[in-house]
Amino acid sequence: MTFRAWLKTITFYEILVGMKATLTHLLRYKPITVQYPHEKRTLPGNYRGMLALLRYDDGTEKCVGCDLCEAACPSRVIRVVSSEVPGEPTKRYAKEYYMDMTRCLFCGLCVQACPVDALGMTREFEWSVYDKRQLLLNKQQLLAIGDRSFPVREKRLEFQHPNVAFFNVAYKHLPQKAS
Amino acid sequence: MAELGLKAALSLAQIGAVMGVVMLTVMILTLAERKVLGWMQDRMGPMEVGPYGILQPIADGLKLFFKEDIIPAGANKFLFSLAPILALVPALIGFAVIPFGPNETVEVFGIQFKPFVISDINIGILYILAFTSIGAYGIILGGWASNSKYSLLGGLRSAAQVISYELNVGLAIVGVLLLAGSLSLVKITEAQAGGFWHWFAFAFPAPQLLAFVVYVISSVAETNRVPFDLPEAESELVAGFFTEYSGMRFAFFFIAEYANMILVSCIAAILFLGGWNAPYPGTLIGRVLGENYGWIENIMWFTIKVYFFLFLFFWLRATLPRLRYDQLMRFGWKVMLPIALGNIVLTSIAAYLFPRG
Repeated sequence: MTFRAWLKTITFYEILVGMKATLTHLLRYKPITVQYPHEKRTLPGNYRGMLALLRYDDGTEKCVGCDLCEAACPSRVIRVVSSEVPGEPTKRYAKEYYMDMTRCLFCGLCVQACPVDALGMTREFEWSVYDKRQLLLNKQQLLAIGDRSFPVREKRLEFQHPNVAFFNVAYKHLPQKAS
Repeated sequence: MAELGLKAALSLAQIGAVMGVVMLTVMILTLAERKVLGWMQDRMGPMEVGPYGILQPIADGLKLFFKEDIIPAGANKFLFSLAPILALVPALIGFAVIPFGPNETVEVFGIQFKPFVISDINIGILYILAFTSIGAYGIILGGWASNSKYSLLGGLRSAAQVISYELNVGLAIVGVLLLAGSLSLVKITEAQAGGFWHWFAFAFPAPQLLAFVVYVISSVAETNRVPFDLPEAESELVAGFFTEYSGMRFAFFFIAEYANMILVSCIAAILFLGGWNAPYPGTLIGRVLGENYGWIENIMWFTIKVYFFLFLFFWLRATLPRLRYDQLMRFGWKVMLPIALGNIVLTSIAAYLFPRG
């Protein structure tokens, strides 16, 4: 042991360096934590939060019931019950659409898989509930999330079919398609 | 008879006041520790209860008071209930001989009364050492009676640690006792009057700086604080000797730990840093307003010194990781003990060559 090392040992040099560091942080107090429920951190731009179903600007839902999101989901969150649009055997829509958010890992693969961009990821993250059955969301709930998170809707393409939805209020006001 | 009753009433009032101050300090410490620790780690500490979290100790106290009192199956009920009391009482009883202010005598209704020390017994420091040793029994018995492996291990560690480091505390104090020539805390403090160069940490014939360092380190170990918190090592033993305790019994252990911290800080201030003496001769208030008011400044200096040591406890906790057990034992027996012994030899030679007075 050299003299310097010995001197450092008996004077607790390393400990004093550490204590200086903590004291510096005490004197230049600048907390990096956030008082969470009162103030929230700014989320990054590509934040992947709660999933939602989207509508077109005329209020009709985008989903065509193709089941690709169900196939893409790694944790089997999504269940789609696809069915024909009444009276039009070639057109389909999602009659029922369930998401079990207890299993979702927010990877965004379903959003990427969707051919009509009917799924979106919102910036909501405060979804803690007392009863986890409340996290099994149906189509109406998912559409409601989309309605409140995406106020600006995509325009429906001119010759695209207006999908039927029983809760679709705006559907009745659509001009009927010329047959 | 009336005189005896009055004496008893005065003493009880004094004890009540001191206990009140100690309990208040414990409350402040529980908050201050979390706040200081938070600030040192770039956090905020408790912020929810009251403005800036200042009512947190009250919320904690209420929570602990209303918690369910659980005695684990297979625990020795008598010792399990006795242990928290055995830990708390010695921690609080030591304050009976601590002089908080100058050794003045006031005459109240014809009775001689010392307002700043409950009882000035001539073996004060010995009395405190004896009672803090009993406090270790509370920890050991609590660990054993819980019928839990973690508690038992915590109690065992505490036993070995307290024995090793109490020895160092005792030996570190001897130098001061040689210089002061008394075991009474009041006399020791009075021997350091007249400026900081008379404090025993820096006093002329044999500065007790080494003993001071040994005492501070050993007292941190004796109160089971970081970096010597092996009896309650969270990462190894859950909570050590009070793993199985809950509610008020847990609160007793908690208060005992903090009261012990205050006690060792008081002793460190009295023995090495001149107790209630200001670092300059006399007192400023005494000179300006008259000697009758000097005690205000004396008590202020005592409080500052004690709080400096308490801050040191938090500071060390924020800085240092826990020692390994063999390191702890090696440090205690192979480093601290020889230093303390050598200090005694040097101090006795110096005290013989330059006798006081």
